[in-house]
Amino acid sequence: MASISLRNVCLDYPLYGAYDFSLKRRLIGHLIREKGEMRIVRAVDHVTIEAEAGARIGLAGPNGSGKSTLLRLIAGVYPPSSGRVAIKGNVVPLLGLNAGVNLDFVADDNIALLLRISGRKPTRAVIDEIWAFTELEERMQRLPLRMFSSGMLMRVLFATATAFPADILLLDEWLSVVDERFAAKAEQRLQNLVSQAAIVIIASHDQPLLRRTCTSIINLDHGRIASTVTVEQPSALSFELREKRA
Amino acid sequence: MHHTSSPPRRPSVLHIFKIYYPDLFGGTLTVIRDICASLKDAFASAVLTCSQSAEKGEIIVNDVPVERVRSFGNVLSLPAAPAYPWRLWQKIAEHDLLALHAPFPLADLVFALGFGRNRPLVVHWHADIVTHAGLRWFVEPLMRQTLRRAKAIIVSDRVLIEATPLLREFEDKCHVVPFGIDTSVYDWPKIEPHHVNDRGRLVLACGRLVPYKGYDVLIRAAVNRKFEVWIIGEGAERARLEQLIAELGLGERVRLLGSVNDCERIKLMCLADVFVMPSVTNAETFGLSQLEAMAAGRPVVNTALDTAVPRVARHGMEAITVPPGDAEALGAAIDALISDPERRRRMGLSARTRAVSRYSATAFREGMESVYRSAVAAPCDKLAPADDQPEETSWFDSIRIAAALAWSDMRHRYVRSLLGPFWMSLQMAIVVAVLGSVIGQMSNADMLARLPMLALSMTAWTFLNSVVLDATTALQNSASLIRDRALPPVIFLLQCTFRQGLFALHNACVPLALWLLLTPHDLSGALTALPGLSLFVICTFALSLVLGALATRYRDLKPIIESTLMLAFLASPVIWSADMVNHRSTVMRLNPLTHLFAVWREPLAGGHVDATSIIYVLVALALLLCASVLTLVHLRKAAFWI
Repeated sequence: MASISLRNVCLDYPLYGAYDFSLKRRLIGHLIREKGEMRIVRAVDHVTIEAEAGARIGLAGPNGSGKSTLLRLIAGVYPPSSGRVAIKGNVVPLLGLNAGVNLDFVADDNIALLLRISGRKPTRAVIDEIWAFTELEERMQRLPLRMFSSGMLMRVLFATATAFPADILLLDEWLSVVDERFAAKAEQRLQNLVSQAAIVIIASHDQPLLRRTCTSIINLDHGRIASTVTVEQPSALSFELREKRA
Repeated sequence: MHHTSSPPRRPSVLHIFKIYYPDLFGGTLTVIRDICASLKDAFASAVLTCSQSAEKGEIIVNDVPVERVRSFGNVLSLPAAPAYPWRLWQKIAEHDLLALHAPFPLADLVFALGFGRNRPLVVHWHADIVTHAGLRWFVEPLMRQTLRRAKAIIVSDRVLIEATPLLREFEDKCHVVPFGIDTSVYDWPKIEPHHVNDRGRLVLACGRLVPYKGYDVLIRAAVNRKFEVWIIGEGAERARLEQLIAELGLGERVRLLGSVNDCERIKLMCLADVFVMPSVTNAETFGLSQLEAMAAGRPVVNTALDTAVPRVARHGMEAITVPPGDAEALGAAIDALISDPERRRRMGLSARTRAVSRYSATAFREGMESVYRSAVAAPCDKLAPADDQPEETSWFDSIRIAAALAWSDMRHRYVRSLLGPFWMSLQMAIVVAVLGSVIGQMSNADMLARLPMLALSMTAWTFLNSVVLDATTALQNSASLIRDRALPPVIFLLQCTFRQGLFALHNACVPLALWLLLTPHDLSGALTALPGLSLFVICTFALSLVLGALATRYRDLKPIIESTLMLAFLASPVIWSADMVNHRSTVMRLNPLTHLFAVWREPLAGGHVDATSIIYVLVALALLLCASVLTLVHLRKAAFWI
């Protein structure tokens, strides 16, 4: 069963300036006994989150309040400075869609590579299914991504990223696709993915969205949990309705 | 083990320090012993230490079981006890609380590698590393790692936190618990004003005979004075101090008493007229023996260190504080006290009062107990252990992803041009041709027959060179995959080796073609060269792992690595052959590249490998593997660097 347990987690994010990347500078600093003051920002400050299967957690807060950093910490990108992180279940971080894309390759190969990166075996059937979802022409499958318009590119990347269900889904902002006709379909697919995942954590500025999708909203401020709001039942109801319609 | 069946089981504490009774007497050891004794109702103590004595490993000292790991002498103030980390690792599981008495880098090594994460750790910060400060760069990260995972850090005085940068980083974990002593034992003989003898010329000092204690200063201070100096303690400095005493002709007045038992020491403390603590470095953090002297009602002369020393016995009240290392001032201060019995009496009384009121054994016990109790009680959550998380991407997956990425890199070359990586092979062929003709001019040997080996060496060299250079930028280039897809950074270092391996296979067509064209086809050497070749590849990968991580953390390393590789190349027999340069050239023999090539080139050419080369490569490999393990531990932080 999927679960996330963060207990009293802190993350001190070292801010490396141009000088901090220099070994020579550091050695000289040691020799002349210069105090090497490393600037450190406490990006996540004593955060405790317990989430069992079924949890839909929204992270809200102004820019720089530590939403993305917290997501990355849960994803295992950053090691916590102190505190305990225990995560069960496979985590799928959808933090940026562009990672790992090679524009020189044809769409097919890109999809295969992206699937490999997320640890899936790219079979013909899977790729075809993804392609079907993008509603792009068959022949474009053999074209390098460089020739795609940005809207088309987004379709491909979105379809690939959301192809497989996840135990724990981490979203930095709700993935949206600009293309109007495609937007509704994408929204539905993402909702579907969210409904299948055991735990979803979404970082967003969009309060209505969070209230619509989440069971609880955590307001972050300077890395600290400022408040936790439990969203009332109606939202869950509308969520079910949405699913029935689907 | 220590079996006790008091109804509620006492949590057990393992004290970790480099040395313990009965091998030595000293302040730190007294503290450990006092902790064990005073907390015996609440905690079952045990000690794991090192010992040079060949006697049996497990003994009982003052009711406390002590396991002594065999040490083979001291290296840089550290016991050379190779089995210690291993024993520590084994013992960790048997105890509820670990109490590390720092500094002890050997134990830091165990904690830095992440062992014993599931047991709470309390660090007693006795002193900073002062004596071998040159090794700081190596030891400090280890100590930081230990402090990071510690539940609490206990120091004897607040000034230590302020004066130690490393401790300031963990200020919120630090607890100040001043040492305390049982002052009642010093009531013998009753300290009365008349006890101060008029002869008044006995100066006492007490502590291990180690350089930082500054006994040489004390001995120099005794020159041309009237007082007698008795020094209690044993240690490595003894011979040198004895020599100094003899040289200065002080044999009459300065005596090294050696180790003295507690009862005797208390008696001496009460007999002395002045107690001196001449320590010269901040390694002396508190000066427990001056506290004992204070309890015995003795005036103190101590030194103005940045530690608790001048704060335990304060200048003008319980002590005269002189600059550390100043023999003249020290002698003058002692003389001032010796010649003024009234001042001695006054200072002695206030010293006694301070020891009783401020540094009581009860306060010490209560302070320790509360820190220990909260450390045991707190859930063990100080650090997120990597093994607690499910293997989000297992090793096998990592290798598969790295292979997929490397394969796509190679295909990318083909996308851009029809020949793909064969362009590089073509370049290689040209290089080999040019080099071959030049070298052919320089030596009169049959160059044609040597061309395949030259081409193969160049292929291998290109592989090594490009793997390492690629690795220096690999993590930065894959920043988005690391940060947004949470892929382990090691994948991208592995990708470099895989990618260059694929390219090397392309390049290998040059030596293959030359070999088919130019030489009799003899395959016998190929099989025997395989072990050497795999050593070569493993070393290359380990090197790229270490340098790749380092160069990501320190960006200015890349040009240094580049030029070092080039130098190593020029100083190795990759393109030169043995008969062209003097084979016994020292630089070439010291160059690891020489041996790294020798282990597979020699068998391939039909010769046999020199034993030195094999040993050299294996040692290099062992070092690289150690470094790789450390790198992998630190690679968790790579996301901060990119």
